[in-house]
Amino acid sequence: MGKPQFYDLNVHSRPDNESTIEELTALAKHFGYSGLAITNHSNTAVDPVATGTEDFEILRGIEIVATSPSKLHGLIGKYRKNVDVLIVHGGNENINRAAVENPNVDVLAHPQMGRQSGLNHILAKSASENNVAIEFNLDAIIKGRGGRRVQTLSNFRTNLNIARKYDVPMLLTSNASSYFDMRAPREMIAIAGMFGMSKNEAVSALSLTAKGIIQKKRSKPGFIREGVEVIGEDVLEGTGDPL
Amino acid sequence: MKILPPTMRQRKRYLAFELISKEKISRDELIRELFSSMGSLLGDAGSSECSMRLLTFEDSKGIIQCAHKRTEQTRASIATITTIGGRQVLINIFGTSGTVATATEKYLEGVKVFNLEEQSHINW
Repeated sequence: MGKPQFYDLNVHSRPDNESTIEELTALAKHFGYSGLAITNHSNTAVDPVATGTEDFEILRGIEIVATSPSKLHGLIGKYRKNVDVLIVHGGNENINRAAVENPNVDVLAHPQMGRQSGLNHILAKSASENNVAIEFNLDAIIKGRGGRRVQTLSNFRTNLNIARKYDVPMLLTSNASSYFDMRAPREMIAIAGMFGMSKNEAVSALSLTAKGIIQKKRSKPGFIREGVEVIGEDVLEGTGDPL
Repeated sequence: MKILPPTMRQRKRYLAFELISKEKISRDELIRELFSSMGSLLGDAGSSECSMRLLTFEDSKGIIQCAHKRTEQTRASIATITTIGGRQVLINIFGTSGTVATATEKYLEGVKVFNLEEQSHINW
């Protein structure tokens, strides 16, 4: 299999936050990442930009902030075609539910709501069916201290158990708001160990899950949904199926 | 007191690291922050199991010693350091090794600490 390729799929840049894409990219390269997704909040009105190089991918992303499920579905429709990584800003019961029920969503970010983990068996089943990844945003552990961090760790532990049971894709991100919030893959894995995530799970959360999200062939012509695609008539004739 | 025979000594790992910051950070400040962040994440009991020590720290890079079975916990607690005395910092671990000599040789010799301003100009 070779060395896994690591991606950080939730990173904020200027003007959403203080660091430029250039600064974030330079550090991510130094840390050994293969790519970043710049996912600024939709309510800060930024156009998603992609300027990758050969050895480093910069993915277009968006973190949609919506006040109601209907607005959320509208915004998903608006952004889906233009971005590689579509994240929903979770943390509200109705938004969490709407996000996991929409197969056009890639990631549900920080679903936790204070004391509650924000995920239950029903949401987990939907997330698994629609292939919506659940995010573990490690900035809450890196930057938090005291009681709030204790709560975050136990929320993450709960979500991890639920995700394991229902086979929900898990994603580790830095949710960085400055380049100082980013951590190298090995550090991300070590931090994930603090809430009980095994090393294998953490590695695949940073590499395979992320890669899966990037490679969903949504933009291909004729694509309808996962596993369904319109094939042109000429393609059918050309195959010459020997019955 | 006579030192313990080698088989009775606690096994160690050595983490080679760099400290990324816009300002200069002193050794004492770093030590204080290392223990405070570990105390906050793992508690007193957990910290004692890690038996972390800062061995060398020069030119923003150095070596941290820890118990070899607690490397992941030590890594995690180092990764939760965000500021030292109100200044933003970031500690990146180059790698781990079983002896100080290999840690120095493999990871620290001739390595320049990541400097964001230089890097982002070269690449773009």
